[in-house]
Amino acid sequence: MNLSTSNATALIRARGLTKTFGERTAVDAINFDVRDGEFFGFLGPNGAGKTTTMRMIAGVSPRTAGTLEIFGNDPDTDGPRIRGQLGVVHQQETLDQELTVRENLLIFGRFFGIERKEIAERADQLLELFQLSDRAKDQVEPLSGGMKRRLSIARSLINAPRVLMLDEPTTGLDPQARHLLWDALQRLKRSGTTIVLTTHYMDEAEQLCDRLVVMDQAKIVAEGSPRQLIEEHASREVLELRFPEGTSRISKETLDGIGDRYERLAERVIIGCENGEAAHARALEHGLTPESWLVRRSGLEDVFLRLTGRSLDE
Amino acid sequence: MSAAQIAPRRSRGLFSTIGAYLPHPTRWRHVFGYMVAVYRREWIGSVFSGFIEPLVVLAGLGIGLGVLVGDRAAEITGGVSYVTYIAPALMASQAMQFGAGEAAWPILGRIMWVRIYHAMVATPLKPTDIIVGAILFMGGKVAFAAAFFAGVLLVAGIATSPLGALAMIGVSTLTGLAFAAPVTAFSVTQKTDQGFAIIFRLIITPLTFFSGTYFPIESLPGWAQLLSWCTPLAHGVALARGLALGTEIPNAATHVAVLAAWTIGGTVIASILFRRRMLK
Repeated sequence: MNLSTSNATALIRARGLTKTFGERTAVDAINFDVRDGEFFGFLGPNGAGKTTTMRMIAGVSPRTAGTLEIFGNDPDTDGPRIRGQLGVVHQQETLDQELTVRENLLIFGRFFGIERKEIAERADQLLELFQLSDRAKDQVEPLSGGMKRRLSIARSLINAPRVLMLDEPTTGLDPQARHLLWDALQRLKRSGTTIVLTTHYMDEAEQLCDRLVVMDQAKIVAEGSPRQLIEEHASREVLELRFPEGTSRISKETLDGIGDRYERLAERVIIGCENGEAAHARALEHGLTPESWLVRRSGLEDVFLRLTGRSLDE
Repeated sequence: MSAAQIAPRRSRGLFSTIGAYLPHPTRWRHVFGYMVAVYRREWIGSVFSGFIEPLVVLAGLGIGLGVLVGDRAAEITGGVSYVTYIAPALMASQAMQFGAGEAAWPILGRIMWVRIYHAMVATPLKPTDIIVGAILFMGGKVAFAAAFFAGVLLVAGIATSPLGALAMIGVSTLTGLAFAAPVTAFSVTQKTDQGFAIIFRLIITPLTFFSGTYFPIESLPGWAQLLSWCTPLAHGVALARGLALGTEIPNAATHVAVLAAWTIGGTVIASILFRRRMLK
């Protein structure tokens, strides 16, 4: 299935979307569509412009140029109406620590003008869904990081939003909490909520996103489903060679011909190839003596590396 | 992706710009309600601590200093006891302290540390709704505390007319707002709480002494009198004292107008600055 020609309605549509802060261009003329019911991701390193894009969608950052439509409305003029149908989870915690878990939901619902009775019913459902029911009457402060994050997401759903926006939802969480959160998000998506997320974790994007754009230095450098992106921009397997003393003295001639392509990082050489084991044998023939090596399937990390020449955590 | 034609953003019309800064007719209530929920537990405590302190001051100064001032008190107070003279003024000055304090740390905290304002601007609430709701809540809190103070004055026989006491609550509330609003405007521009020390040490605390609380403004040099009348407290004190003593208040309408101007002006500026801070 080719998602980019799908006829599903675009809930969010950006064309030439641009944001500058003084001299600095944070988002540089990007185009994207988020369609009804999909899990859409912005993948990229910190500072790529993901959060700024999210803020523009949420109508809390006026764009510098370009067009932006959310549910067919312009956030410049219809901000409150758009925000009424969005759920936003910020990267940093924004819960009220002086209120209880349940009160955080009840109060927040009022900001959307929802009736108390309706909020109360929804709050209990959400606490159930995010496994927080037994903490409903507790203060927020002593909750674990994972629980706080789940509460933030529950709170952002109190208005039954058409689109849920998550900015780096699992940053700072331990692996178990991440997986719990991923499960909850998958359930949510199955129930029909459109989800937009930013992340700099490749595995998160691969696990969750139907479709994503890769952002780097304020621009979108690639777009597609995780599988499409890997097929288009990466080879089948990857051979990683590790040189703790550095890779700068290895000559280009030595690296040529081991695989289809290679990227030289500070202490690693990443070689894209059809068959990792065979490539490793060739590397030894070429006289390379890595301290350690491994073969793995290509992932989004390799797509990013290929497109930008940098690894995400650099 | 094709190179898109980048549409320059249309600038807002004048109406739309003004509209962005006008509060929604009802949504500020939800902000008010939020504040009530937060303070519900500590409400009584904060009100007591806020107004028990001035009662202690009142007892100390009124009785102690009153004895010291002795018969000369009548010269400055126009015949009433010193305690009666300073009690309504202390009520107004405490409203100032209370209003300014509520507009300082609690506002900055919700921007910088709790960050809930960041979540709130992502709802249909406009920044102005948040500011208006927060400032009105400060007014409510001042009113509540002032009512307690007025009750004490009535019981102690310092205030004689219940109607006058009711009016004093109104005046104190307005005085509190006249400080809460401009201090909010200051708070929303701050990145740390260090600026508050300056505000409180250099402005709020000295104002108590130069606004006719403990001695008549007329005993100050001319330039200082003028300066005092530019700030809200002198007007609050003049109104509260007149109401407590049941004397005629010259220029009452002007006093109210100055307090209202500080309240409204401060709220407008706070809304503009808060919007700028939150929507970047």
